[in-house]
Amino acid sequence: MTQQIELSGVNKYYGAYHALRDINLSIPKGAFVALVGPSGCGKSTLLRSLAGLETISSGDLVIAGERMNDMPPRKRDLAMVFQSYALYPHMTVEQNLTYSLRIKGVKKAEAKKAADEVAAITGLSDLLHRYPRELSGGQRQRVAMSRAIIRHPKAFLFDEPLSNLDAALRVHMRKEIRALHDRLGATSVYVTHDQVEAMTMADHVVIMRSGVIEQQGRPLDLYDRPANRFVAGFIGSPAMNFIPGKVTRNGREIVLDLPGSHSLAIDLDLPPDHAVLVGIRPEHVRIATQGERGFDVPIAAVEFTGASTFVTTDTMPEIVFVLNERSSLKIGETIRLTFAPENVHVFDAKTEQRLGLKD
Amino acid sequence: MSETARNRLMLAIALIMAAIYLFPLYWMYVTSLKSGSEMFANPPSFWPSSAQWQTFAFVWESRNMSRYLWNSTVIAFGSVALIAVLGTGCAYVLARYRNVWVDVGLFLILMLQVLPASLMVTPIFVGFTQVGLLDYPRLAVILAIAAKSMPFFMVLVRATFMAVPMELEEAALVDGNSRVGAFFNIVLPLARNGILVSAILIFMQAFGEFVYSKSMIQDVSLQPASVGLNSFMGPNTSEWNNIMAYATMYVTPILAIFVLLQRRIVSGLTSGALK
Amino acid sequence: MRRIFASVRDGRGFDIVLVGVPFAFLFALAGLPLIYNILMSFQEVDMFSLGSFIRPFVGIDNYVALFKQPETWPILTNTLIFVVGSIGGQFLIGFGLALFFWTNFPGASWLRGLFLVSWVMPGLVVGAIWNWILSGDFGVLNFFLRESGLITANIFWRSDPSFSLWAVVIANVWLGTSFNMILLSVGLSDIPGDLYEAADMDGANAWQRFWTITLPMMRSTIGAIIALGLIFTLQQFDLFAAITDGGPNNSSNVAQYWAWDLSFRQYDFGRGATISVIMTVFVMFAAAVYVRSTRHEVRG
Repeated sequence: MTQQIELSGVNKYYGAYHALRDINLSIPKGAFVALVGPSGCGKSTLLRSLAGLETISSGDLVIAGERMNDMPPRKRDLAMVFQSYALYPHMTVEQNLTYSLRIKGVKKAEAKKAADEVAAITGLSDLLHRYPRELSGGQRQRVAMSRAIIRHPKAFLFDEPLSNLDAALRVHMRKEIRALHDRLGATSVYVTHDQVEAMTMADHVVIMRSGVIEQQGRPLDLYDRPANRFVAGFIGSPAMNFIPGKVTRNGREIVLDLPGSHSLAIDLDLPPDHAVLVGIRPEHVRIATQGERGFDVPIAAVEFTGASTFVTTDTMPEIVFVLNERSSLKIGETIRLTFAPENVHVFDAKTEQRLGLKD
Repeated sequence: MSETARNRLMLAIALIMAAIYLFPLYWMYVTSLKSGSEMFANPPSFWPSSAQWQTFAFVWESRNMSRYLWNSTVIAFGSVALIAVLGTGCAYVLARYRNVWVDVGLFLILMLQVLPASLMVTPIFVGFTQVGLLDYPRLAVILAIAAKSMPFFMVLVRATFMAVPMELEEAALVDGNSRVGAFFNIVLPLARNGILVSAILIFMQAFGEFVYSKSMIQDVSLQPASVGLNSFMGPNTSEWNNIMAYATMYVTPILAIFVLLQRRIVSGLTSGALK
Repeated sequence: MRRIFASVRDGRGFDIVLVGVPFAFLFALAGLPLIYNILMSFQEVDMFSLGSFIRPFVGIDNYVALFKQPETWPILTNTLIFVVGSIGGQFLIGFGLALFFWTNFPGASWLRGLFLVSWVMPGLVVGAIWNWILSGDFGVLNFFLRESGLITANIFWRSDPSFSLWAVVIANVWLGTSFNMILLSVGLSDIPGDLYEAADMDGANAWQRFWTITLPMMRSTIGAIIALGLIFTLQQFDLFAAITDGGPNNSSNVAQYWAWDLSFRQYDFGRGATISVIMTVFVMFAAAVYVRSTRHEVRG
């Protein structure tokens, strides 16, 4: 597959601050890539560097086979949807849509035709002569999208485009943006801090922290095999539980720092007494059946969401797990929990990197 | 007390206070309409018994006011044009970035803004004499006013540019515009009102400028109205009705502009001085 | 060449051109004169040596001679009185008016803005009006004072040496009060209303709310306004020219007027430059205070 965007060894400094560290990323044509991470992780800087709004300090930035390091934004042929939408307040919707075409010198009639076509796709046909201030948040969002679509750019860049919308509209727009992407056969780079958005929309998720790509890959691969504790904790909601533990003398089992003498039989290539962190997702914890071995823990909180029940244990660290039914558990009650070894993720306690299980 | 009654009372007090505060202005208008004898009446009259409208025509002719006002206008327009052309772009850059250099630049500008004209006029006069600029006295005054007022203009306009979201310019860049194009197409139109208000403020200042004109323009035919008013007021003058008529004709256009654009001028001024 | 052009169109060059030209202009017309001023204060400059670049160097003679002149200290004292009197009057009346207009009745903001006419008028016109109002025999101020019983005999504001400085102070207070009031109004309206609601719930009365909330919250605004007042007061020139001309016998003369008088009436440019340098240092100091009190806002 041809690569639409390729970054290799990209670094970005602001004075002494190292904002992007050795970024390597290939985005094939037609892919939907999400850049996700906590605020300040460098995802927006990376996106802005692609757009040309920031210049990278070192490395190579190639778009459609052409090195773009020092190109001004206007020569990169990328379209961007801003978080604040950045609609030109002194122009009507139609003028906003056709702005880029007019700069290119496209004829008036042609530009108008293009605007009508795009407006038909995004449902803005009735609003073309309004000014941005006369539009609702969702409509503004559509204008911002349309302004990008009209150009048929080499790639779409989205900078948290949904964060100013209310929850219901956000879920709806998620699907709509993805559908548009597929329909246009576009290449998209989507920045968000919301891991659910990243997981549901993207083909390829890039998780960043402190200017470093922590892991990238297909959404479910990240979910199933997080490379380190950070990724494991970032992806999935409610978040993964982490329990400190220790490899036993024989190196075949892990003793968890939980009440009860139960240990997990996990085959690891580790020296005895090695300190580890065991990760288990809330949906993989279950209440032990009669006579089954497990950990006896008291309950600290029970929360009902209607469809499911979140239970928090009174342990250090606490464990959260999900029951898919109404439950009669009481606070203070002690229950026995268990989980299957194959659902467990083991991380090194010091490096926090994933430790491979022997298959 | 009900809300409306309280509001009416407050408004009444406010009107009285405004009347007291603006009394000097009223006194100027009233005096300009009085006759020579009524002017010195004791007790003074607060409404002219018979308005002497012909005083205005007389003063206009005898003091050659059209020439003075023309010179004031030339100087004010020249200064504003120079300041706006040079200051707008600079204010934009100072608003767009946030780093040590911008802080240094702002500090220098604020320092220049505070230099009193009466102190700067000595070196400027001597320097201009030496480079021959005093042969073009109105240009010399325009340059001096521009240097004096440009920092203030920059501070005001910078506040305007700060209110234009940076994303708009970035969107224009991504949409295929150059820096120059984005500045003229997007940023400038959005900051237009603020720039205009600041320019009007500068115009009003330059229209009344006195120190530089008094010191550098010797030729009466090139002097502005402020210098004309100064020479009208001899030490022992008794022509107060004529002087007030002169003052009336001089300031009424400025006051009219101010009252019309009051809201915008006030908000532009306050955003620059404190923010 | 093409690279430079491209940079001006798309990159840093654009910023550099926009900043560079005005700064070069300001350097030539404000920076150089400042330096030249210092140079001249060490030279003898009069009508004859005005046009030549090489002039007798006299070291600190100008400074020494200046402080030996009998009028120097009275004039500096006058400057201090003028500054303190003007700022005090402008600030107190301005604050009072701002507090009154803060109660937001209909028409408040429009009326408040109207006060600013005193500030936008040419200084010379303000001076002319006050010259007439303050006139001794026929001045309307004396009439009001007589009617209200405050004085029995007319005060000759402009020609009595013990009042002449105050004549200018009164005019300057009138001119600057509105500006103070507008800026203080902005500061007042920036105080979040829920602070007062919280203080009300905590049992503070209006007086206590003013001292514990309004004043502390206004601290940086007040600092900025006092510093701005100092700057504007030291720039005031037109009122002196229009009301007292520094007289009689220097009783209403202040440093910034004197500097001009030395240069342009006595043609002693060296000494005019000397007093300018001294005053410039003071003004710069005030400016530094102003920048400090608005610094958080300068940085955004």
